[in-house]
Amino acid sequence: MAQLLLLMVGGAAAGVFGALLGLGGGVLIVPLLTLGFGLPLRESIGTSLVCVIVTSSSAASVYLRRNVANLRLGMTLELFTALGAMAGGLIAFALPDRVLAVMFAALLMFVAATMALGVRRAPEPQPEPEPEPQPEPELATAPGSDPSSDATRIPRDLYAASLSGPGYRVRNLGPGIVGSLLAGVVSALFGVGGGIVKVPVMNLVMAVPLRVATATSNLMIGVTASAGAVVYLYRGGIDPFVTAPAALGVFAGASLASRLADRIDVRLLRLLFVVMLLFTAVQMASAGLS
Amino acid sequence: MTTPRLQQLVGAVLTVGTFAGMAVLALGLVQMVAAGTGPLDKPFPPFEPTRLLPDLVALRSEGFLWLGLVVVIATPAARVLASLVGFALDRDARMVAVAAAILIVIGVSAYVGAGG
Repeated sequence: MAQLLLLMVGGAAAGVFGALLGLGGGVLIVPLLTLGFGLPLRESIGTSLVCVIVTSSSAASVYLRRNVANLRLGMTLELFTALGAMAGGLIAFALPDRVLAVMFAALLMFVAATMALGVRRAPEPQPEPEPEPQPEPELATAPGSDPSSDATRIPRDLYAASLSGPGYRVRNLGPGIVGSLLAGVVSALFGVGGGIVKVPVMNLVMAVPLRVATATSNLMIGVTASAGAVVYLYRGGIDPFVTAPAALGVFAGASLASRLADRIDVRLLRLLFVVMLLFTAVQMASAGLS
Repeated sequence: MTTPRLQQLVGAVLTVGTFAGMAVLALGLVQMVAAGTGPLDKPFPPFEPTRLLPDLVALRSEGFLWLGLVVVIATPAARVLASLVGFALDRDARMVAVAAAILIVIGVSAYVGAGG
C-alpha cells in the first residue's frame, strides 16, 4: 500500500512540475521509476509514455477549445512524429539497457542546459491574454493574395501556407518534417513528449509563434507517444500495476498545477529543477556505466 | 464544419477519453488493492487482447487496468478519427488523407509491436 501511495505521489509531483514547467513529465517519471523504484529502464519508459499521453490529452483539450493550438499544422507534423516514434520504440527494444541509460542521462543534461539558459534569459512569466478565436485558415491568406504582405516572407509551398494561422505564415515545411521525425524517435526512445525538439523547430524554423508552437506541440505529443506506447504495450514494456497509479497521480498533479500556476515563482522552480535534473543525470549515467 | 467548431469537437473527444480512461484505471486500482496485489509484484500480467473480456467479466483487476490503459493510449487516435470525420464533412481531401495516414501509422506500430 505504501508503494502504491508513493507511486501516486511521485506521479503527482511529476505532473505538477511537468505542467508548471511546460514539460510532458517524462524526464521526471523515468528516473523516478528507475532510480526510486528499481524498475527496468524499458518498463519505466513504457509507463512514462502513458503518463505523457495523459498530460497531453488533458492540456490539448484546453488548448483546442481556446483555439490556441493549430490543428492542421499539428496533424500534418504528427504524421511524421508518429513514424519517428514507431522507429524509436523499435530501436529502444534493440539497444542494451546500459546504452539507453547513458543516452537518457545525456538527454537530461541537454534539457537541464536548455532550461538553465531559459532561467538566465527569460523574464518573469506574465499572464497571457485570452487568445482571439482562430478563423478558418483559407488560401486567401496564402501567397500572392495579400498585397500588403512582404514578398520575401511568403512561403513558396501552398500547402505550408494553408497550415498558417492568424498573424503568422508557416514556412520551411521540409525541415519541420525532419525535425518532427527526430522528435518522434526521441519521444519513444526515452519516454518523453519530444516537445524539447518540436517547439524550437516550429518556433525557430517554421516561424510559428511560441505560444502556438507550445500548444500545437502539446497536441502532437498524444499521437506521438501513442504510436510509441503501442510498441511497448505489445512487447511487455508496460506494467499495468505500476502505470495505473503513476498515470492517476500525473493526472491529479497536472490538474492541481493549473491552480498553483499563479502562486509559484516559476523561475525559482526552474532553477531547482535544473539542479535536480543534473543530479539525476549523474545517477542515471553511473547506473548505466556501473 | 468550421475549424473552431472542429477544434471544440476534437477537444471534447480528448476530455471524454482522458476522464473515461482515468475512471477505469481508478476502478482497476481499487480492485488491485482489494486483491492485495502490490504495484511492484512480478511478473505482471502480459497484455493479451483476447483475455480482456474474460478478465472484465470475472472482475479481475488486470482486466480493468488494461482496459483503462488501452482507452488512454487510444484517446489520441480517437481524436484523429474525429478530425478525419470533421475534415470529410468539410470536403478537405488533403487533411482527410493526412488523418487516415496517421491512423495507418498507429495501426502499423501496433502490428509491428505485436511482432507482425
